[in-house]
Amino acid sequence: MGPLIPNDLIPFEWNLVIAIIIGIAFGYILESSGFSSSRKLAGVFYGYDFAVLKVFFTAALVSVIGIFYMDYLGYVDFSMLYVHPFYLWGALIGGAIMGVGFVAGGFCPGTSLCAVAIGKIDAMIYVIGIMIGVFIFSEFYSFFEPIYDGYFYGNITLTESLNISPYWFILFFTIFGIIAFALSDMVRKKVKKVFY
Amino acid sequence: MINRNLVKALRYRYVLLAVGLILLAGGLVLLPKQEKHKGITSAELLSNAISPERYMSTDEIAHKIVNQDPSILLIDVRDSLNYQKYSLPNALNIPLPKLLDDNSMTFLNQDQYEVVFFSNDNFDADKAWIISNRLGFKNIHVLKGGLNSWFKTIINPTMPEENMPANAFEQYRFRKAASMYFGVVYPESVIQQSTEQKKVPKKVITVKKKKKSTPEGGC
Repeated sequence: MGPLIPNDLIPFEWNLVIAIIIGIAFGYILESSGFSSSRKLAGVFYGYDFAVLKVFFTAALVSVIGIFYMDYLGYVDFSMLYVHPFYLWGALIGGAIMGVGFVAGGFCPGTSLCAVAIGKIDAMIYVIGIMIGVFIFSEFYSFFEPIYDGYFYGNITLTESLNISPYWFILFFTIFGIIAFALSDMVRKKVKKVFY
Repeated sequence: MINRNLVKALRYRYVLLAVGLILLAGGLVLLPKQEKHKGITSAELLSNAISPERYMSTDEIAHKIVNQDPSILLIDVRDSLNYQKYSLPNALNIPLPKLLDDNSMTFLNQDQYEVVFFSNDNFDADKAWIISNRLGFKNIHVLKGGLNSWFKTIINPTMPEENMPANAFEQYRFRKAASMYFGVVYPESVIQQSTEQKKVPKKVITVKKKKKSTPEGGC
């Protein structure tokens, strides 16, 4: 049956409309769970708030389990879903830069826009920083291109490249996630509380 | 009282959620695995199989061969012995058991050529078509009636009777000309042979082109 748009159950033209609706819902949930506060986001690095870890890990777990059940029951064709292309060094370097930006600025790109929407000045400066970064990248594109386009490994998933059963992987991933939640709670209790 | 119980239960809410997640993930591992079929769904396959769209007539194929249409790829699905005895010009031989070999995949799994399967009748070719259609290959056709029909209509066309419509005669003329192209010699053409023998294949092209150009001009 699914995915709905590639299988023409919903016309292709609705793509952007649905994207906007999902985007609004996503932004609303981010804001209402406090993710537009840079202190909450940075808390995961300092150990006083692990909401980011918990939310994103839970989201990943729920969606991966849900997608596999739907695939099993025939509601979604797993092989038709988009798998992000894997550029090894691009991902590593980009991830490191983004991580530094995350710790230093207290936002990731999505939450920064969310915070701009509620009028946070630090987020506005952060977004200007993103724009400067985009500008620099575009200007030096020919210089960065070998890394940006190179070391391409195709649209692979972890289970394909490691050649393990996705079902066992999900189970271990779930257990790992729950251990991470428990550990992060223990850390949070030991760290001095920060009010923000 | 009820509230206090609820509060007590809710103290374990995160534990309960965690256990729920683990149970769901464990369920995935324990579920009996089923083989997933590749290619199109069975309903699609059925509707494709019922539709006669896949068939190409012998006249169409003859026309394409005579005009040296570069887009068609004739594939003989009979065994190699029969293939060596007789086959259509420029046909490839992929016997039905070898249809899913890696070598044949390069011919079947592409979208540049119109692949036409043929066998003695259309049964084996239909089998090949069903398999390739199920795998989702594009532009696969079947020669209607196979080589038997090819012999009946193109190589040895029956002359229409006098009371038959004009297009039957036209079709006969085309078929006769096509059969000449494929090497059949008619007694009347032997007599003309001494004057202009090479005209025969050229004539075929012009005859068909005339037919085609009239509706084009109308549009």
